[in-house]
Amino acid sequence: MKRNDIILIAVLLVVSIGLLIGVNIYRKNNTSGSAKVEVTVDGKVYGTYPLDEDRQERIELADGSYNILKISDGKASVIEASCPDKICVNTADIHYTDETIVCLPNKVVVKIVNGEENDVDGMTR
Amino acid sequence: MLLQGTPCFYLVVLIGEYMSKGKVLGVILIILLIVFIVFTRKGLFGKGDVAEEQNRYTATFIDIFDTRTEIVGYAPTEDEFSKKATALREELINYNNLYDIYNDYEGVNNIKTINDNAGVQPVVVDEKIIDLLKFSKEMYAATDGRVNIAMGSVLSIWHRYREAGVDDPENAKLPPIEDLKAAAEHTDIENLIIDETAKTVYLQDPEMSLDVGSTAKGYAAQKTMEFARAQGYSNMLLSLGGNIAGIDGRIDGTPFRLGIQNPDMDSDVDYIKKVDIKDGQCVVSSGDYQRYYEVDGKRYCHIINPDTLFPSDTFAQVSIITDDSGMADAFSTALYNMTIEDGLEFVNTNDNIEAMWVYADGSIVYSDNFEQYLVD
Ligand SMILES: [Zn+2]
Repeated sequence: MKRNDIILIAVLLVVSIGLLIGVNIYRKNNTSGSAKVEVTVDGKVYGTYPLDEDRQERIELADGSYNILKISDGKASVIEASCPDKICVNTADIHYTDETIVCLPNKVVVKIVNGEENDVDGMTR
Repeated sequence: MLLQGTPCFYLVVLIGEYMSKGKVLGVILIILLIVFIVFTRKGLFGKGDVAEEQNRYTATFIDIFDTRTEIVGYAPTEDEFSKKATALREELINYNNLYDIYNDYEGVNNIKTINDNAGVQPVVVDEKIIDLLKFSKEMYAATDGRVNIAMGSVLSIWHRYREAGVDDPENAKLPPIEDLKAAAEHTDIENLIIDETAKTVYLQDPEMSLDVGSTAKGYAAQKTMEFARAQGYSNMLLSLGGNIAGIDGRIDGTPFRLGIQNPDMDSDVDYIKKVDIKDGQCVVSSGDYQRYYEVDGKRYCHIINPDTLFPSDTFAQVSIITDDSGMADAFSTALYNMTIEDGLEFVNTNDNIEAMWVYADGSIVYSDNFEQYLVD
């Protein structure tokens, strides 16, 4: 085997490894970008808001029902709602990926996407 | 990563060998190697190494058992995961419709139909209803009457006052004890007549009604997990309103880790404890922190003690680890209504049940072997 061949192999190997690492980094950046709060009403996306910007959003439903979403200090919570059970208001604030606050009467789901990964797979309620 | 799969490794060795014979062949083989790696990453090479990458997915449904359902699972694509999640959802919706006490469904005799026919006539029902009612009677016996699905008359009064109180906190009221006592006259589970041969259910007392809230959800979760196993599903977690059960563990072989809701909702700590569960185990909590209303500054939750006809307030939360979701639901309700002494004796004399009690001040009592599940 000639010296040049070995260099060629080495170069090609390095290039392919480099490409793989590049693809991986690209994928990672694309999936764990900035965390967002996704609000759906009856399964349809109502709005998406960055988790790192403090705000209050009144989620208005066609029949006049509402939930008030509060984002502050990188956490999302429902602070007021028109529903009869107020379970959404009584739900702890969320910030991990896939954590949700649900308002059953209003069919509103507040969900974290692209956020910090949780170390638990589920929680009791 | 590069030499992870042995075919890959052999290719490199081959390249080395052919290199001595001629440059062109060597270069071609190197190109082949790169193509091989790229294809492997894309999953063209069947099973093995990185080819079939299993991604983690979560599905959330809000139309079952008046609560939220979450399914966690793994699949190569979202489509494949959705198929499984949808199959489980259909199972659960079937149970939901059969066990509903508030709504009618076209062509379905459910628990509401049984209630509507109390004192009138026996109702022909699906086997799944008979099974639930038999299971609920077993739970009544096992918990000394602390889980009583025949308490519908009492629970519906509390339900009405709670909804009114949450809606208009200024005017929140407690139900008059006379009303509760009058309703409690009609809670004898012996008046629930199950005819297994005729497949009918009859409530002998026209004033009585069934409320299967303490058993139906857990029972349906248990049966749905058994369905999932029969379908060959693996590495799955089902949460039915916080009643969580697992098949296997995570895809990487580590156990599923569950957070137990901190009953102090104002705290920055989401989970009061974390537990790792084994295949087939489930965890459920009962507490006063989500479904409740306040009267004169005092909190009244949805779990009503059959002895006092009032919500229990001994604990902020009781959590159970066991291997049957139906029992988990029933036992956590029962323990919530027991003293700590009775509860400890109950748990420590029953196999495969462990419990954790949390008081309002955050202090915790464990059953004999609960702590072995704790992590962190
Ligand atoms: Zn709500």
